[in-house]
Amino acid sequence: MSRVFLARLGKLWLACILFFLYAPIAVMAFMSFNASQYYQLPFDFSLKWYEKLAGNQEIVDAATRSVMIALATTVIATILGTAASVALFRYDFRGKRFLQVMLFPPIAIPWLITGTAMLIFFFGVGLGRGTPSVIIGHVALALPYVIVVVSARLATFDATLEEAARSLGADSWTVTREVTLPWISSGVIAGALFAFAVSFDQFVVSYFLSEPGDSTLPVLIYTSIRKGFTPEINAISTIIIVVSMAVMLFAARFSNFGGER
Amino acid sequence: MAEVSVQKITKTFGSLKALDDVTMDFPDGGFFALLGPSGSGKTTLLRAIAGFIFADSGTIRIGDQPVENVPVEKRDIGMMFQNYALFPNMTVSDNVGFGLRVRKVGAAEERRRIGEALDLVQLGQHGDRKPHQLSGGQRQRVALARAIVTNPRVLLLDEPLSALDKALRVDMQFELKRIQREIGITTIFVTHDQEEALTLSDKIGILRDGKMIQAGPPREVYNNPADLFTAAFLGEANILDALAGEGTDIKIPHGFPTGGTLAVRPENISISQVEPMADGLSKCQAVLERRVFAGAMATCILQSNGNRIKVISRDQDIPSDVAEGDRLWLTWPVEKTLSVPSGRH
Amino acid sequence: MSANLANQERLRIFGLLSPAYLWLTVAIFLPLSAMLYFSFLSDVPFGDADWRHTTENYQAFFQTKTYATLLWKSIRLGLTVTAVAVLVGFPCAYVLAKTIKGRSREALFLLVILPFWSNSLVRIFSWAIVLRGNGVLELGLNAILPFQVDVNLMFSTPAVVIGLVHSYLPYVILTSYLALQAIDDNLIDAARSMGANKLTILWRVILPLSLPGLLAGAVLIFVPVVGSFMEPRILGGRVGTYYGTVIEDQFVAVFNWPLGAALSFILLAVVLLILAVASPVLKRAQT
Repeated sequence: MSRVFLARLGKLWLACILFFLYAPIAVMAFMSFNASQYYQLPFDFSLKWYEKLAGNQEIVDAATRSVMIALATTVIATILGTAASVALFRYDFRGKRFLQVMLFPPIAIPWLITGTAMLIFFFGVGLGRGTPSVIIGHVALALPYVIVVVSARLATFDATLEEAARSLGADSWTVTREVTLPWISSGVIAGALFAFAVSFDQFVVSYFLSEPGDSTLPVLIYTSIRKGFTPEINAISTIIIVVSMAVMLFAARFSNFGGER
Repeated sequence: MAEVSVQKITKTFGSLKALDDVTMDFPDGGFFALLGPSGSGKTTLLRAIAGFIFADSGTIRIGDQPVENVPVEKRDIGMMFQNYALFPNMTVSDNVGFGLRVRKVGAAEERRRIGEALDLVQLGQHGDRKPHQLSGGQRQRVALARAIVTNPRVLLLDEPLSALDKALRVDMQFELKRIQREIGITTIFVTHDQEEALTLSDKIGILRDGKMIQAGPPREVYNNPADLFTAAFLGEANILDALAGEGTDIKIPHGFPTGGTLAVRPENISISQVEPMADGLSKCQAVLERRVFAGAMATCILQSNGNRIKVISRDQDIPSDVAEGDRLWLTWPVEKTLSVPSGRH
Repeated sequence: MSANLANQERLRIFGLLSPAYLWLTVAIFLPLSAMLYFSFLSDVPFGDADWRHTTENYQAFFQTKTYATLLWKSIRLGLTVTAVAVLVGFPCAYVLAKTIKGRSREALFLLVILPFWSNSLVRIFSWAIVLRGNGVLELGLNAILPFQVDVNLMFSTPAVVIGLVHSYLPYVILTSYLALQAIDDNLIDAARSMGANKLTILWRVILPLSLPGLLAGAVLIFVPVVGSFMEPRILGGRVGTYYGTVIEDQFVAVFNWPLGAALSFILLAVVLLILAVASPVLKRAQT
């Protein structure tokens, strides 16, 4: 088999996979603009499902709640995660390896287990379900991602710059503010966007921790699906996908292409 | 400006003794070199003076202030790093003015002093450039301006010239010395290049394996090395002990301590084809192994009784018909003989 | 001596690190401990339930065949999904890493990864639309094929597998891509110059070097799939009962939290076992 043939075959395979990955999403988006309630063709363009969406108070509330929670998560996780990353980069101390390893369990353990464990614990300490619990859970899930992304950016940072600043009389906070943060800003932004995506798309942990009736958007969609499909779900799902992918596109730009001087 | 004094500094990293009971004085206004091979501890010592490393024991004083408990940002030093460490997101002016901003000197004063510093390093027109737009030599001068603009008590340089090519390095050596003379700041720099140390400094401290072997003015250290390592590290030295053979006459100067190893530097040896008869000259015979032409100078490697002897002289002082395999006479003035304390290799 | 300075530095380190790690402790590690404790109770210790310490929850696992059967079913599902994803994804990663060059490579890579970062629930839902009876797949096939087909893949195991593969495929493509990209092209050229044919190069050079990345992706897929419940519920219907759905039930329907906790821990033990077995190979992936 010639190399060219294999290369073509490979590219065809890649195209098939991309088709596989995007087809259902495209179909769903397509159908959300279809007037038919039962996914019947022919295609009849209509925005009515989106209009119904705007009038569906339950969905709008859940969407707002999801965005609020995601914003809160982003702010908290980014600040905490960036601080931790800077400390891990700047200092050497006993137990540093251990701390770095500790970041993996949250990502490695199935979210089912993490979510149910949080539910048990929060009930045990009297916090119970609700938005605060959801935020606590989301931040915990987002932190490892923020730390990994910011640390990756820090790995390209020249530590002697911090030493130079200190030799010029700058204290620790001034060094961070004037020298370190400008360099890692693209990493911090990427981390923030990751945190937003993790929170906004989070289903499992939200499912266990949110109050029925006061749920996040993914949880609402899930319970709605269990009851039966309606095209409004189609519409809101399309919106969610577009938002999520847009956020991640920005994050990718900031973590891959940003910051090269 | 202040003098610096380091007393009995010891620092251990795990099982490695990076600094072992190091003592040295750096009088006010002088230009000092810390010289040694890789791993000798010279950079560790510099960083201890700067405050990036805390010594395990011993004292460090800047002026009359003990600084062991003072963090680096409060020691009022200026430092130049090997890779310059210019802040990439700031302009040249902002880089230079960073220390002034931290000290809150005020906008007008800051501008004035930045201008002065840039003029001093002859970069007055480059204030608005960013570091990545500058050449290596220019970046280095910005780093220097940044280090001195705050009028620190002492200037510390960590192998500042090692990244430059030869021609630029020589120029910069001259510049550094000129500027240091002009502002009179106590300057300590670290280098592994012995020629640089000899050229620039008022006093050299030689370190090896964490110990301060010898400290003194360049000429003194060069002519009276404390041990064989120093004799061979600072310049070169031919060891004379095992030389024998017909006509060998190694005279020992008056008053030499006994028990030392005798040596002579390559540049002090003359080559001739006939036996010299003058008094006051030590002499021996050797066979020419190789002659290396290097423009104005030439190096000859000779064999005498199983010993290798290296001679450096002006190329024009070597007879032109000398060829490899020839038996030649080597002579050197008695007073140029070195007696190096043996034992510490 | 300079103990003062060292202490100041320690305080600074502590101040920077503790918020994040305290949060992780409170939100993840303490809950896991709480769950372990719970699994040894007979009933939830809230309200006026009468509770005591017991191992009967764990015993239930070993005594009732159902749980073990379902765990095995979930593990089988994990293996199936992982196998399919690896077989489908690895060639994909190879093409991306080795065959495509330049700017289009980055763009294509981004395209592959992007769906992965969108909402998994929504993606599963989109599959539901495609696979159901009278769904798009059936309509599409009928449009192309000359004969009538009735395709209702919904509420079947293949549907669950398809949905899960779709969700987690980018994981293995990502890790394999990173590992393959790190393989120096010169190695492959050297092998070719020594006369190796394509199959030999694949078997002896590429696979061994990219194995850590491949395995990392496989583990990242296997672990969540074994614990999945949302995808089986939506796509599997009545055949969508797995270990994960049983645990879910304990918490949202049956309210037997201690049993749910015990079952969770057994799952966790299995997951940790898999990770422990795979970690020597995975460690090489870190470098």
